[in-house]
Amino acid sequence: MTVGALFRGLKEYLTGGRLRLILLLLLLLLAAFTLYLDITIRAQFEGKRWALPARVYARPLELYPGAKLTPEQLAAELTLLRYHQVAAPEEPGSYRRAGEEFELLTRPFLFWDGTQNVLRLRVELDAGRVHKLRDHKTGAAVNLARLDPLLIGSIYPAHNEDRVLVRLKEVPQDIVNGLVAVEDRKFFSHHGVDPRGMARAAVTMLRGGAVQGGSTLTQQLVKNFYLSSDRTLRRKFTEILMALLLESHYGKEEILETYVNEIYLGQDGNRAVHGFGLASHFYFGQPLPRLTLAQSALLVALVKGPSHYDPRRFPQRALERRNLVLAELHRREFISPRQLAAARAEPLGVTTKPPSGASPYPAFLDLVHRQLRRDYDEDDLRSEGLQIFTTLDPQAQRAAEHALTRRLAELERARAMPAHTLEGSVVVTSAQHGEVQAVVGGRDTLFEGFNRALDAQRPIGSLIKPAVYLAALERPDSYTLATPLDDSRLVWKERGIKDWEPNNYDMEFHGRVALHTALANSYNVATARLGLELGVPQVMETVQRLGVEREFPTYASSLLGTSELAPIEVAQMYQTLASGGFRSPLRAIREILTVDGKPLQRYPLAVEQAVEPAPAYLLTTALQGVVREGTGQGLRQYVAPAVGVAGKTGTTGDLRDSWFAGYTGDRLAVVWVGADDNRPVQLTGSTGALVVWGDMMAQLDPEPLALPPPETIERVWIDPKTGRRAAKDCQGAVELPFIRGSAPKENAPCATAAPVRSWFKGLFGE
Amino acid sequence: MMRYRHRLWLGVFALLAGCVTVGEPPISDKGAVVALVDTARADGAAGKTDSAAAALERALRIEPQNPALWRELALLRLRQGEPQQAESLAAKSNTWAGSNKKLRAANWRLIAQARRERGDDAGARAALEKAEQER
Repeated sequence: MTVGALFRGLKEYLTGGRLRLILLLLLLLLAAFTLYLDITIRAQFEGKRWALPARVYARPLELYPGAKLTPEQLAAELTLLRYHQVAAPEEPGSYRRAGEEFELLTRPFLFWDGTQNVLRLRVELDAGRVHKLRDHKTGAAVNLARLDPLLIGSIYPAHNEDRVLVRLKEVPQDIVNGLVAVEDRKFFSHHGVDPRGMARAAVTMLRGGAVQGGSTLTQQLVKNFYLSSDRTLRRKFTEILMALLLESHYGKEEILETYVNEIYLGQDGNRAVHGFGLASHFYFGQPLPRLTLAQSALLVALVKGPSHYDPRRFPQRALERRNLVLAELHRREFISPRQLAAARAEPLGVTTKPPSGASPYPAFLDLVHRQLRRDYDEDDLRSEGLQIFTTLDPQAQRAAEHALTRRLAELERARAMPAHTLEGSVVVTSAQHGEVQAVVGGRDTLFEGFNRALDAQRPIGSLIKPAVYLAALERPDSYTLATPLDDSRLVWKERGIKDWEPNNYDMEFHGRVALHTALANSYNVATARLGLELGVPQVMETVQRLGVEREFPTYASSLLGTSELAPIEVAQMYQTLASGGFRSPLRAIREILTVDGKPLQRYPLAVEQAVEPAPAYLLTTALQGVVREGTGQGLRQYVAPAVGVAGKTGTTGDLRDSWFAGYTGDRLAVVWVGADDNRPVQLTGSTGALVVWGDMMAQLDPEPLALPPPETIERVWIDPKTGRRAAKDCQGAVELPFIRGSAPKENAPCATAAPVRSWFKGLFGE
Repeated sequence: MMRYRHRLWLGVFALLAGCVTVGEPPISDKGAVVALVDTARADGAAGKTDSAAAALERALRIEPQNPALWRELALLRLRQGEPQQAESLAAKSNTWAGSNKKLRAANWRLIAQARRERGDDAGARAALEKAEQER
């Protein structure tokens, strides 16, 4: 059989209907495939195009006359925000400082309540406060202004793709021209593919050249967007088809805008840098519209291979490629010879270190993330580009980090412990609103792992005692601050449990002691006996009322804090005391905006009265006594007594955990110090955590704690020896607050003589 | 003649100033707080209660011990249909009210209204009695 016969046979077979049928089937298949691609493309292009990370911001610094702010604090804040210090501020984000006077131009920013445009402010500080705030141009007084908030972290999409979306009109023309000149000369005229370009590329390839080029920007976009990176003929065919489809549905500008946001331009650890918007920040620390010609050319140069031409690792290679882009720009007459020469002479201009994509405050971010997960899907958090405004106060955070790292190292040295034996954590909140201002999860403040502030549950020891005393003070008929408690040997027998015999820290008994003194000195036995009188379940109910959600067992030993809490839970409990008996859920988030700046959700300030004002007031007075004359006395080295700090030390068995929880007029803070492996660290609450707490608060210039006494409170002089009424000038008499009618009725011996003496005093005009 | 005219104007100003202070004392001596409360009231009147609350919370961050601000927020929560919050916030306002009986009485009346809205008539009556006692 000849070849001719074979052909004839085939021809006969395919005559008539058969050939047409097969052709029709093929055509149908192609049409179906095209339709499928078309649907895919349009769905992706018109629906959500990118997974955008959520951006998390610190609180904005509020400027207003009277605001507490030192020049150092303002300078530190401006440095954090990367404001440039210059001689004559002209650009948003720049400032001039002359002693206590600042002139600054704020960056425009979209807040929850609308946009704040660029403000040109003159800030005069004096005596640690904003003295005057004025518009620099007109000299008019300004009531209130905000700096733009510090970006403290991002919650990245699944593949750690990071990008900053830009509109085409924000993209420098040099970049658009560069892309056209280097990547796709016919972009504005072709229909998605460039046959001549492809032919050129094919010839190069056949001649043994590199496999490259020939793809239009549209094809590159399709490749990035929809396809895997394997190089097969079938994929190439799909790519061409999709590029044609894309061009038939969308305009050049839309395609280009998508391209500049999609293209991969660098890598930072496991974070992938996508789009020119982020690349501009990543390489130059500048927003895209402000790039120079040379900088724009470098970004275009990177399209070909961000790691091969990485300007930080291979500056020479990057420079050559940039200059090639510049030369192409010139050849296509986009730039003049003079522009070319000037741009070629410029250095690369990249910042030495990329702005890190990792948060400087991972422990705080962890808290934010957890609070978000209560209300949002993890997928949405990682893809919707939400803008999250938090309560983080960078000044408080810095003070907490400094105090913890510095003091732990010092404690180790002073006690000849091996370095890094100690660990610790800190939580700081605003006293009246329950906003979390700082979270330190450990000594390595940049560590993203174990967060001791949220997850290290430890026995709280004496930190539980305020709940015992509060439960007592809520029964003014039976207990007052002056009520004598019995601090003598106690053996508690309960069926099924070993006898319980609590000891004091000094291993002594103190006999009859006034209730406020027993708390100030943290006497275990007196407290245990008091708690047993009140009933362990009643005390544990008080603990829960203060905001602890965990249920504690009602064993007698629970009265001395054998139960475990994480520092953040302790903060919630003490928050209720700090705000005068009003419980507010601790909040790390204020507001959430959508990607385009529309208000999405607010986390409002909520308060609930958990304790009557009068017993809350009495307890705070007693906790101030802890610091004035009890186990918290050491604080006086750090914080002036006039601040009137209320606080409590906590120490657990064998000196494993050292706690301090306390509050001032404006802040509440909880500090834990211990070892990760739970070995004894030989620190009490006073020698460990208190030192960190004091150091931190000293940096924050605390507001005095001065609660106005509720109406039902009266002050009465008491003779500490008998616990009875005394006169002001009785020896050793103390003035204590009482709920009206609850003060002791009987007079101490000295009290009867006293009025006579004061009457004489009055008579002789003393 | 000039001098007399000056004195006349001074007198008028003094009178006006007197009227202003007698009418309603400013909610704060900080311009920032006054401005925020103005914003909050305007937003509240326009039905934008969320924005109003945000402005008041911002004011409270500046002056957490100002009882009048806690009361403003209590009033707003009542308007937002959150009597429980309104009651707590009014009570909170009272803890900072010190010797300001007028404010305390007003807060007790607010608490009474909040309790009525929650159907607690006995509690409302008790609150009104408290308001009477503050006179």
